[in-house]
Amino acid sequence: MSCHDHGSVDIESDETIALVGCPNVGKSVVFNALAERYVDVSNYPGTTVDVTEAAFEGAKLTDTPGVYGVSSFDEEERITRDIVLDADLAINVVDATRLDRDLFLTLQLLDMGIPTVVALNMMDEADADGTDVDVEALESALGVPVVPTVAIDGTGIDRLRERLPEATAPESTPIERWFADLPEDIDATRAEQTLLVEEDEQTAARVTDGEIVADGGALTFVETGQREDVYTHRRRRVEDVVADAVARRDRDSSWAERLSDYMLNPLTGTPIALAALAAIYYLIGDLVAQRLVDFMEVTVFGTYYNPAVELFVSGLLPNADWAKPVEFVLLNDNLGLLTITVQYLVGVLLPLVVAFYLVISVMEDAGVLPRLAVLTDRGLNRIGLNGRAIVPMIVGVGCVTMAVITTRMVGSRRERLISTALLGLAIPCSAQLGIIMGLLAGLGVIWWFGYVGVLLAVFGVAGLFLDRALPGESTALVTELPRLRIPRPGNILRKTYNRTKMFLREAIPLFAVTALVISVLDYVGGLGLLERGLTPVTALIGLPQEFGRVLVLGLIRRDFAAAGMTDLALGPAEMFVGLVVITLFVPCILSMTMILKERDAKSALAMWLGSWVVAFGVGGLLAVIL
Amino acid sequence: MSEMLADTDPGDAVVLESVPDDDVRARLLRLGFLDGAVECRHRLRKGPIVLRRNGTELALGADLAREIEVTSGESKR
Repeated sequence: MSCHDHGSVDIESDETIALVGCPNVGKSVVFNALAERYVDVSNYPGTTVDVTEAAFEGAKLTDTPGVYGVSSFDEEERITRDIVLDADLAINVVDATRLDRDLFLTLQLLDMGIPTVVALNMMDEADADGTDVDVEALESALGVPVVPTVAIDGTGIDRLRERLPEATAPESTPIERWFADLPEDIDATRAEQTLLVEEDEQTAARVTDGEIVADGGALTFVETGQREDVYTHRRRRVEDVVADAVARRDRDSSWAERLSDYMLNPLTGTPIALAALAAIYYLIGDLVAQRLVDFMEVTVFGTYYNPAVELFVSGLLPNADWAKPVEFVLLNDNLGLLTITVQYLVGVLLPLVVAFYLVISVMEDAGVLPRLAVLTDRGLNRIGLNGRAIVPMIVGVGCVTMAVITTRMVGSRRERLISTALLGLAIPCSAQLGIIMGLLAGLGVIWWFGYVGVLLAVFGVAGLFLDRALPGESTALVTELPRLRIPRPGNILRKTYNRTKMFLREAIPLFAVTALVISVLDYVGGLGLLERGLTPVTALIGLPQEFGRVLVLGLIRRDFAAAGMTDLALGPAEMFVGLVVITLFVPCILSMTMILKERDAKSALAMWLGSWVVAFGVGGLLAVIL
Repeated sequence: MSEMLADTDPGDAVVLESVPDDDVRARLLRLGFLDGAVECRHRLRKGPIVLRRNGTELALGADLAREIEVTSGESKR
């Protein structure tokens, strides 16, 4: 595996500095304070984890994902491990209020022999928290420079920069007692030896080309259970350092702790969570997805941009036969490359993406997501997910496309598949929901409850089915609850900007190609053919042939399908069946492109076909019952 | 006589004695949750349990809590 090829980043430098630390210690704030120019976010090759890089005093500074130790427990840890193994030195950011937790990673870096400077961050919170850290004692206990910082207001950053050349690692550390057990002929650096005695299988594969790894992945030269001995020994050293350098004063519980208690108690936490959801729905689902997007589509694009582009382009093209298909592909009313495609990307997607990343960044920064996961863990366990899957589900009601991206945070591959499939199938997005709510309101409130009931039933049954059908077991919730804090605007804006930029960089080419293919298909009459081909299935659910047109629109965008329903003259039961079918029906083209990008082609196809089957299965059943 | 983490009440101090899952055990060890007594902060009915040690709070799913054996630690109150 190439560890030097980090996507599109092209900072030419021989020296690399890794910024390493536990989650929520202010690592990215330190990173941004140090970075000089060219901050670039990219996916680490072969993964969905974002890695940020920047130039720093002639070296390349890499911000690694937050981890509690260098190992291989999850994707973040594997990435951090690879970056650390290739780094020339490390800046280890630790939270002064959580030294007992953070020093494990510090001592591990030193055991690995990585030249390190420790940034002792959040000194202000430590003070408020009643924690006194003796910086000199810590420095002498660790044997490397320790610089107290309050990264959020820039305190200590200059000193950190000054002391970086002093980065060092102790000549020898107690880890060496285990090195003697390694085979003599092994060609491994000190860092690799450390990971080897900790039973890191991927490091073993890396240094031996897989030769010494026995069947089943066990290391032949390391005793089983040795990792635990090494970890336990390191924990003893952490406790010794903490005993030397940290003193705690008694203090009253803070507002954050009291609020955290309220959030974790289901009696008070549920109303808090519901209120937060309502606020999020209002912001993403109503303010942005309805009002702002409406304004962009109707006024900005419908009145100004599209007519102007049409006039300009058709004026440019000659009145020749060959120009007709070109004009169609560029300007057609369904998905023209220069008109409607741009409208979707800029008028629909961009506002949603920005709003969504704002909300997620606020929730991340405030520390509420893990608490929401605790509240919903039990319910989600039943459908093969754990509490962390609540985030994609909430976001999905805003916009399924965006939600597909957040499935990155739900754990194993199995859980990502289940949550993505459920999102594509049973979660209506706000654009569609708005129109559907309008239509159902015309039918009466009983139909609205029926609609919600059917969707919840499908969601539950599909979840139970996937949980049973997919091999493996869901992973249990193990999550740290970071302290609650008031979100910092600078942090949020920076995250939102970086993420939006990266998302658009990936989504725009994908979407443009998809639009091109659909337009060509439309021009050669493929869509019309598809519509006629749908006659048997529309008959199955007892709806007229025109419903085929609605479905074809639904392939492109879900709210188009919902809007198409308003033109059909249908009875209440027929309308109800139609609305359920278009909700369960395939995700919109943007979501599909995103599913394709985040999952593999086989799963994406299975989900796409699966939603046809479920939509018409449930629709047919309802048609018989009603 | 040891009991299970899932039966621990909020406010109790317990020592996590045996954690069957290797990876979970290693992760708890790294965070210092196997070093000594930890405080049970919250327990949701049939849901996750929240533990605290030196200010670090950790939530564990109910399935995990049911298979972790604990003994009573010295009371912190």
